[in-house]
Amino acid sequence: MDVVAGRVWADERRPIRHLDPMLLIVTAALVVIGLFAIYSATSQTLRADGFDPFSRVNKQVVTAVLGLVLLLVMATFDYRFLKVYAGFIYGATIVGLLLLRIPGVAASETGTSNYINIPGVSLLQISPSEFAKIGLIVILAAMLSELRSPVPTVPDLVRVIGVAGVTMLLVFVNVEIGTTIVLAAITVGVLVVAGTQAKHLIALAVATIVVIALAFQMNVVEEYQVERLLTVFDSGSVSEDARYNLEQSVIAVGSGGMFGRGFLQGSQTNLDYVPEQHTDFIFTVVGEEFGFFGSAFVLALFALLLWRAIRIAYLSKDSFGTYLATGVASMFAIQIFVNVGMVIGIMPITGIPLPFLSYGGTAMLVNFVAIGILLNVHMRRFK
Amino acid sequence: MEKSSARLKVFAILVLVMFAALSTRLWFLQVLATQVYAEEAQNNGVRSVAIDALRGQIWTEDQYGKPNGKPLVQNRSSLEVRVDKQELEESGVAEQVLGELSAMLDIPVKQIRRDLESKLYFDYQPKPVAEFVDEEVAFAIRERQEDFPGVQVRNASVREYPMGRTASHMVGWVGQVQAAQLEQDEFPICDGSGPSARCYGPNDMAGQTGLEVQYEKWLRGRKGFQRYVVNSDGERIRDLGGQQPTPGGDLVLTIDSEWQRAAEGYLEESILRTRQVLDEDSGTYFKADAGVVVVLDVETGGLKAMASWPDYDPRWFVRGLKRDEVCYLGLTEKCSGADKVAPLLNRAYQEVYLPGSTFKPFTALAAVKEGYADLGTGYACPSEYVHPGDESGASFSNWSSQDLFPGTIAEHLIISCDSSFYEWGSDFWFRYQNDQLGEDNEPLQKHLRAWGFEKPTGVDLPGEASGFLPDAEWGNADEQRDLFGQGGWNPGGYILTMIGSGYMSVTPLQLAAAYGAIANEGHLCRPHVVDRVMASDGETELKKVNGQCDRTVPYSQAELDYIRNALTQVPIRGTARLPFLGFPITEIPVAGKTGTAFRGDQFQDTSWFAAMVPANDPKYVVVAMVEQAGFGSDVAAPLVRRVIETMYGIESDAPVITQTGQD
Repeated sequence: MDVVAGRVWADERRPIRHLDPMLLIVTAALVVIGLFAIYSATSQTLRADGFDPFSRVNKQVVTAVLGLVLLLVMATFDYRFLKVYAGFIYGATIVGLLLLRIPGVAASETGTSNYINIPGVSLLQISPSEFAKIGLIVILAAMLSELRSPVPTVPDLVRVIGVAGVTMLLVFVNVEIGTTIVLAAITVGVLVVAGTQAKHLIALAVATIVVIALAFQMNVVEEYQVERLLTVFDSGSVSEDARYNLEQSVIAVGSGGMFGRGFLQGSQTNLDYVPEQHTDFIFTVVGEEFGFFGSAFVLALFALLLWRAIRIAYLSKDSFGTYLATGVASMFAIQIFVNVGMVIGIMPITGIPLPFLSYGGTAMLVNFVAIGILLNVHMRRFK
Repeated sequence: MEKSSARLKVFAILVLVMFAALSTRLWFLQVLATQVYAEEAQNNGVRSVAIDALRGQIWTEDQYGKPNGKPLVQNRSSLEVRVDKQELEESGVAEQVLGELSAMLDIPVKQIRRDLESKLYFDYQPKPVAEFVDEEVAFAIRERQEDFPGVQVRNASVREYPMGRTASHMVGWVGQVQAAQLEQDEFPICDGSGPSARCYGPNDMAGQTGLEVQYEKWLRGRKGFQRYVVNSDGERIRDLGGQQPTPGGDLVLTIDSEWQRAAEGYLEESILRTRQVLDEDSGTYFKADAGVVVVLDVETGGLKAMASWPDYDPRWFVRGLKRDEVCYLGLTEKCSGADKVAPLLNRAYQEVYLPGSTFKPFTALAAVKEGYADLGTGYACPSEYVHPGDESGASFSNWSSQDLFPGTIAEHLIISCDSSFYEWGSDFWFRYQNDQLGEDNEPLQKHLRAWGFEKPTGVDLPGEASGFLPDAEWGNADEQRDLFGQGGWNPGGYILTMIGSGYMSVTPLQLAAAYGAIANEGHLCRPHVVDRVMASDGETELKKVNGQCDRTVPYSQAELDYIRNALTQVPIRGTARLPFLGFPITEIPVAGKTGTAFRGDQFQDTSWFAAMVPANDPKYVVVAMVEQAGFGSDVAAPLVRRVIETMYGIESDAPVITQTGQD
């Protein structure tokens, strides 16, 4: 191999030349659609109350720019450094979650806040549980890629479940059922791709049910947590508010029809009939104002995103990269499914935002970080 | 890596299934079922609020269209305070606002809170907490509106009665529509299926009695509506237009307000004066607990006046009944010691009475028709009458304890002889006795029905009584065993009916209508209070009420003239001579008949007078009745005289009661 050819070979394998442009385009498209939807959902109310109708959109743009910076940071260093610092990252996540339990640090005096105020940064409140998703993906990928056997043994599984369980428990006691579900989905997704045997997966499912039942029996969970969980399982006991929310959201999507009622023309959206529309119920704006075509287009973008993520998992040069990408794919997949499913009435109401479309700081940043990780694995797929 | 790629395929398939599920559901919602949801979204945002139409006014004929005319009933705006509960609660100062409102309106905070919880209104509607608020209070609220979040002052409309109690029985009152009304077809319920101009909501007003309910559909008008877009908080975002309400039509009554007031005034005066008179039969003062005056236009059937006493003030219902008023009106059982005077009853047509001798013209003609009597023949008038063949010792007395001079039917009407009528009653009994299974064995009842007795006159007012004529079928029924014994129906049934006594009954209005037929060449009219319904523009006639005077009674003009001429003598030299002393009888001849109905020992006699005026060419019938007041010539006849004097503008200081001691 001559020097020139060698240089060309090396040059061809420079990570920057192997960005995944489709992933970036899809992400950008989703963010832009999200901005339009947020404007539609919030501008009327803001204007009526005498605020700048763009104030929510502006804030989302700032968050997106910040997210882009994080994405670039995540893409620049070799992702294998994540494996080196996996323990540290995981530890930081747990500390962050524990901080929420300390009165005074949490943003709300009532102690049930999911946010930590960053002193001096009024723009952003950081939600540690959102970062816990990334932390869990990294630690699981690191653990499972270091297995000595081809498939995880029972002790391996016990360690993995222990690590994931602690995270989920800390998030759950903070009344974030949605995030807990996402964490569970990440764990299952990564375990499946890591080759966990079916019987172990089934045993795991049974154990989970037993633990939940025990928690109920021993009154470890608070009253309102039980209630919240019940609403997930039993639509009959859904609170009036939740039922109203669901009704209005289904009406909004359904009334959109084939082509939608047009941007800013949705009456459900304009008249504030859908609560929390700019956050968890952002998909109703797409459904009402852009119709089936709009909804299908957004779903197609998400499908593309997941296809790229799975492809990246497949192309990865090592199992750590595969698991990282799988974890990210699981995270997105469950969020899309639960969120859109909730909006159109086939999933229970849980507080899960729609990636890149929902208004909101930390979740948005975490999604960008996740895309950054995917790009990183993709760029460095050659051995 | 082979293994993991296979597993990734599984993962990818899971993701695909997930997208398939979402897309299928979206296809269903947005393509297949979109119509349903589009409609729901539409209904979500658009609210329609009904605007009540202004209710029609009620006028008397003489006041309608006059420059300074006064209606009986019109509308008055009431300043109403309404509170938007949501807005008030969101303001965060609900406590202070409620406290201040309570002080200003003089209503306990507790009560305001209860009003705010009222389920009569939807939550997006502001709820009324006070009406008839003082101008100053309303102004204070409007002036400092920012201190009263959610509090509104509105103009509402309520009934007003410029003539006070005048004609209150006829007019009736308006109130919240009753559950029982909503079960009727005339009161369609607003079921929210769209704006309907005629439907009733739970809080709508509706006529409850009198003309207000009889002419409800004319008076009420057509509701309008306003549509607007609301957001999920119920705030109005944008008006979508709507339809203006159509005001209700105005009723123009045949009533003359002057005559009505005179009738009511003299009736009350007469009753109060009668109560100071000692009743020689019972040894106590006359109770005179109620009375009626009816003035009927015999050519049209239009009522010119109709007074019933005791009466009530319709304004009580507008401002809300007080305790003692509830008791007085007899609306509750809880009032201790309250007399049951039933002031809400319009005794002119809702109550039945024994007509006494005022009934004789009709029974006399029946006897003539059947050949038992003859208009030219003279009859004796003994003080006692015994039914032929009756050996029980029972006898029927004349009103006078002395035998009166024999005379024709005319004379017997003038002096109101009973005995001759008893005899004809016996004839009717024999007719029945000899032909018990015959088709036409009770001609008396048949002839009386021809005058409209025993069925409602059809007056355009609700709740009319029909009166009663006893007959053999009734008398022989098991229920009447107490009255007639094992023998059943007996001669007394006919004999007493002949003099308007016994078990029969009529309403004063029926009697007036029957006298109207005598006066109007045998044409029996349907009495009515409303002449026409006019649109609110005052020009379009929406409805003309017809007296249906084309029905005739089966008597010749000669027979009717005979009766009228006989009765013309009653105020001149008959039983009503004293009460008509000093009346210009030659200029305005009056044909009249006194009546004194015996109601049994526990009651005092009912006093009657029925008159046709002017007697030579009758235009009006005036009937007066006072319960438990004694002789017809003592109370009812002078009362009729005063009313006639008002009708013809005769200055007079005649007493409203006399003391004659005559039937």
